[in-house]
Amino acid sequence: MQKRWLSMASVLMAAAMIASACGGGGTGAATTAPAATSAAATTAAAVGEVIIASDLPTSGAEASGGLPTQQGAAFAVSQLKTYKGITISFLPFDDTVNGVHDPQKGAQNVQQMVSNPKVIGMVGPYNSNVARAEIPIANQAALAMISPSNTNECLTQLFPYCDPKPAALRPTGKNNYFRVAAPDTVQGPAMADYITKTLKLTKVAVFSDNETFGKGVADNFVKRFQANGGTITNRSDFDWKTTNDFKPFINAAKTAGAQAIYAGATDGTKGCIVRSQMQGILDVPFTGPDGIQTDQCLKDAGSNTANMFATVAAADASQNPDAASIIAAYKQVYPKPTDIAAYTFAGYDCASILLDALKRAIDANGGKVPTRQQVVDAVQATNALKLTTGTYSFDANGDPKSATMAFYATKGTPAAWVFQSQFGVGQ
Amino acid sequence: MVSSVANARARLMAGTQGRILNATLILLIGIALVILATRVTTLSPAYFVQVVVYGLANGSIFALIALGYTMVYGIVELINFAHGDVFTLGGFISLWLLPIFGVTEGGTVTGFGLMVPLLAILVLSMVACAAVNVTIERVAYRPLRRAPRLTPLITAVGMSFVLEGIMFLWRGPFNLHYPNVLPPVSIELGGAGGPAITFKDVAVIAIAVVLMIALSLFVERTKLGKAMRATAQDRDAAELMGIDINRTIAATFFIGALLAGAGGMIFGLYFNTITFDQGFTAGLVAFTAAVFGGIGNIQGAALGGLVIGMIQELSDGYFDPAWTQVLIFAILVLVLVFRPTGILGMRVPEK
Repeated sequence: MQKRWLSMASVLMAAAMIASACGGGGTGAATTAPAATSAAATTAAAVGEVIIASDLPTSGAEASGGLPTQQGAAFAVSQLKTYKGITISFLPFDDTVNGVHDPQKGAQNVQQMVSNPKVIGMVGPYNSNVARAEIPIANQAALAMISPSNTNECLTQLFPYCDPKPAALRPTGKNNYFRVAAPDTVQGPAMADYITKTLKLTKVAVFSDNETFGKGVADNFVKRFQANGGTITNRSDFDWKTTNDFKPFINAAKTAGAQAIYAGATDGTKGCIVRSQMQGILDVPFTGPDGIQTDQCLKDAGSNTANMFATVAAADASQNPDAASIIAAYKQVYPKPTDIAAYTFAGYDCASILLDALKRAIDANGGKVPTRQQVVDAVQATNALKLTTGTYSFDANGDPKSATMAFYATKGTPAAWVFQSQFGVGQ
Repeated sequence: MVSSVANARARLMAGTQGRILNATLILLIGIALVILATRVTTLSPAYFVQVVVYGLANGSIFALIALGYTMVYGIVELINFAHGDVFTLGGFISLWLLPIFGVTEGGTVTGFGLMVPLLAILVLSMVACAAVNVTIERVAYRPLRRAPRLTPLITAVGMSFVLEGIMFLWRGPFNLHYPNVLPPVSIELGGAGGPAITFKDVAVIAIAVVLMIALSLFVERTKLGKAMRATAQDRDAAELMGIDINRTIAATFFIGALLAGAGGMIFGLYFNTITFDQGFTAGLVAFTAAVFGGIGNIQGAALGGLVIGMIQELSDGYFDPAWTQVLIFAILVLVLVFRPTGILGMRVPEK
């Protein structure tokens, strides 16, 4: 009797471990496996084979933004397939653990990419703290990284407050990291200007999730908003994993007369739970960076979805008439409304930049598979490449020479994010 | 193990060293209160009242969870790590039941007409959690009752993963929005703009207080409660006196989970968010509360929950919220060092 119960308990425990392992990274493995095998099957006949990988949060809370971005990149690769007899395939990775992007998981994924000689470049990551863990690994293998949505300024540019400094992320001393999004030195200030000039408010309460991205964008917001003559009524940096009650912060904001809230957070770091808890306490606009411009955020906000504003560090592709045919073709393959998120076409553009660089590198290499360093050099040499979200060239840091910042607001019932305006940023 | 450390400490307390430890503790508390007072005076008194109200509500939820820890520890000396997840399960089950009972955010049934379905959901979630906890006790702890102390502890961790895994598979890994359905009624103290006591705050505190009073009446007045106390005191002697030990222990797990299940639902109603793994942190904090009040001591757990909940809100409201967790676990360490029997003293049999 005793023994039977014991074995039953251990079976249950084993089940628990399997379940938690699934939570860990099972989804990533599950989605990558078929792509890898199909890629291996086609190798035999071709002259050579290269893989463009991606690392994005494609399960959990951030899947609402990450998965469409991955689809955008996959779609771009599927448009080319082969070049001069060299097969090009796509291999997606997921950096989600327990529903949230995880820097360690991202680093493991990049380690896997690096150890696969066919991988010549990657699209991603989505989150700045993941990038911080991944860049050094990719750098030592000269793997070209191009992110659709990383915005932390310290990833590419040196400021006195940067820790780690961009050079510390690049042990070889050469740059391998590029992005198409405008950095937080643009994104935070953009919302500050929007609040000052468009919403005409002067007192804002600020919170952050205390992550690389959230805290960075909030800091940049605060600097510009104060320079605009505005007042920060109160500021809190939450340990988001353990905080569930944001009401003391909301009340402090109310007591101090805040006219808006700025959220340096994402939907995955409880950024929009704050919106839900504001109900009945403080009815003011809720503003934030690209991390809150998602459907998951609207779900979290419950019935308190009106009056929300967000910036997105990429142009709205639908505003670009030249992109219409690509958007239409994408919709053929991915017809659901949720298949298009803020960075879908930024993801498409990132993969397109890699493909363009790859083609030039293959040409330069006499039709043979180029080395990873040759691909990095080709990406660096990208010259005024016209794509769906802008025209891209890169400076020595890996930042786009010109980027676009777009504004969105919630409209209608049920609420949805609606494009408001956008402006170009030269750097 | 805790109790042997406690005994050693208790002997130590008697001597000069004990007095020094106590004096240091009082000094530390004094310093903390002075720092808090200087921060409180910089902001308005209305804000202070508001934070205290939140602290009471938050503390009530922790008290409900802490009671389950303390009851189980008192009777079988097991730290039931799965308890935090039983609490989360209460939130998940009630979230699932809400639409079935026609309760939706912004739905047609609003105001006080909601109370009947909400109470029904509360009772169902409580009973479901209790059934789960009793099952866990039956399959994972009872067969190991005579095994070394570490064995059931490991199974408890395993059961915690089982429950988290089930909830993960059920609803996914992300933050779930819990409908904000309680009527948005509030009383503003001292006129408009003053600190507001909302229906939510009152409901949370009221449910917790009613349940805690019911629990203490049950333990003090009923035959089963008496059996629980007897079993906690000396299991073998209680068995010799004809008390059905298995039934009594199962009842303890049942009651502990009733409270945790209620805690899970009011947590959702209060904070409007639940996550499959929230029970891990909530459980640790509640465990700290149980230790703070003196593990095994029912009044102590209720007091500990309120104090820890209050400290959490004061820290979030007046200091950097990033340090709140550090503060709470620093308190756990301090209590274990300076007063291992907790504020109200442990109620664990000497062995």
